[in-house]
Amino acid sequence: MGYYGTNDFSYNSDFNLRIRDIKKGNLDFGWLDDARETVEVRRRDPRRGLTIEDCEVGPYAIENTPEVIRENRGLAPRGAILDAATVQPDLGPSLNKKSDVWGYRVQRYWEEAMSRQWNVSTDVPWHDMDKHNIPDDLEIAFCQLCTLLSEVEMIATDLPAKWSHHMNSYFQEVKGFIATQAIDEARHAEVFRKRALAGAGLFRASVRGEHALKGILEADSYSEGSVFLHVLGEGFILTLFRSSEFISPTPVEQRMFQLVMQDEARHVSYGLQHLKYLMDNCPEVRPQINGFLDEAERHLTGLFNPDQLESMIVLGGKGTKPDQIKKGIEVVGAFQGKQIEEYFHRAERAGLPERRERSPLLELQQRMIAAAMS
Amino acid sequence: MAIKFPSIDFFRELARRMADNAAEFEKLGFCDTVMGVKVDGDSAHLYALTFDVFDCTDVRELASPDDVELDFTLEAPLALWREMFESIKKTGTPEPAYTLNSLSHVGDRMKVVYDDPEGHDKFYRFMATLQAFVDQTSDFDIEWA
Repeated sequence: MGYYGTNDFSYNSDFNLRIRDIKKGNLDFGWLDDARETVEVRRRDPRRGLTIEDCEVGPYAIENTPEVIRENRGLAPRGAILDAATVQPDLGPSLNKKSDVWGYRVQRYWEEAMSRQWNVSTDVPWHDMDKHNIPDDLEIAFCQLCTLLSEVEMIATDLPAKWSHHMNSYFQEVKGFIATQAIDEARHAEVFRKRALAGAGLFRASVRGEHALKGILEADSYSEGSVFLHVLGEGFILTLFRSSEFISPTPVEQRMFQLVMQDEARHVSYGLQHLKYLMDNCPEVRPQINGFLDEAERHLTGLFNPDQLESMIVLGGKGTKPDQIKKGIEVVGAFQGKQIEEYFHRAERAGLPERRERSPLLELQQRMIAAAMS
Repeated sequence: MAIKFPSIDFFRELARRMADNAAEFEKLGFCDTVMGVKVDGDSAHLYALTFDVFDCTDVRELASPDDVELDFTLEAPLALWREMFESIKKTGTPEPAYTLNSLSHVGDRMKVVYDDPEGHDKFYRFMATLQAFVDQTSDFDIEWA
């Protein structure tokens, strides 16, 4: 047991007497006396049901919540009455400032996530796998890719889970959204594992890739972790998913990637809106975020590890013959250039246009362009 | 009866079918985006399709891309749109090279034009819905412009 409460209620005579009294029918009704402002919560669009945004009203609304939460360090939901006479336990949330976690439109992302959940076991047409005969080299290359993606998705599950309990409970929308992200990422790890095992199996785990992923998990703040995972990492992985759909050996894998890319794009959108909110409301952290990204972008090149690169080239060229490899190199080079360009564009829109000038990815991009032209 | 492509009736018919296939689209989840479809040819046509919750609620032809705030626009020559719809017609779903994602990814045969990266990301956030939307053309008798 790591926590011993300040009061042992099982031996507290006042508490036990009060409970005995209540059981005799002597109710106090004190809790009925708390004055509450009545709010009107209604479904603005019945097709959506009762949404989180419908509930953003009066004292319950995030817009009516101060930037820094000082009164609550426990589990009280935003808008609940805090009993001034008793001491709320301090659960030690370290993220008590809205700009630490908030992203524009996070309520919508949460609703979208709940609405667009899918099931690996039943929504991928596994029964069609037997209809397609995939050459051995392509199958092994695809399973090598699945191995790396399983590793990536593990970290993407762990990062939101790691930070959730550090967030003040008043930021329920963010906690809710990142909980859906953890479910999404666990589902992605599931789909890549199942596909590999249904085919040639799992292949080499990526040492370089895992070093890159460790950088995400070890970020010093939630915002650093978010910008690394959501904007940089998942932005890159979103393009990788798009490419993987493009080079998928059969419609079964294409369906898989269509479904995972939807979740990934939603996470990227939240990350972008969190970074934007942070830059709008807390511009003094810009040097810290830039310094962090200088290192994070170096880490990320670890995802371009040789095993993954070669497997993508084989998939892109549809084989291992010289002309197929040449074609594969062109395909992979094109999508890597796109990964970097889309990242710069997102960073610019979020308020960090300087990434394009100072990023170590720039040199990588230029080397890729030079290689493609030679 | 043949439906002309490109035409506003073509997209209205897809919107009508989307409403008829409510169960399929409700399972895929909320879809909230305004998508542009541009068909390049002798005379270019640009359409705005508004997706709201589970439906395509508005279809209109635009004189200019500035007439409506579009999240993203898929732009391709008529010949490529034709190849895509003919591929869908074969089996009900496109061949691997003719999914919306594949066409718009490497090689950029179909361009994804956008201003705001969040608008761009909506293309991917709602990919399964948008693919299912165009896959509904599998039994269309299309008259090509």
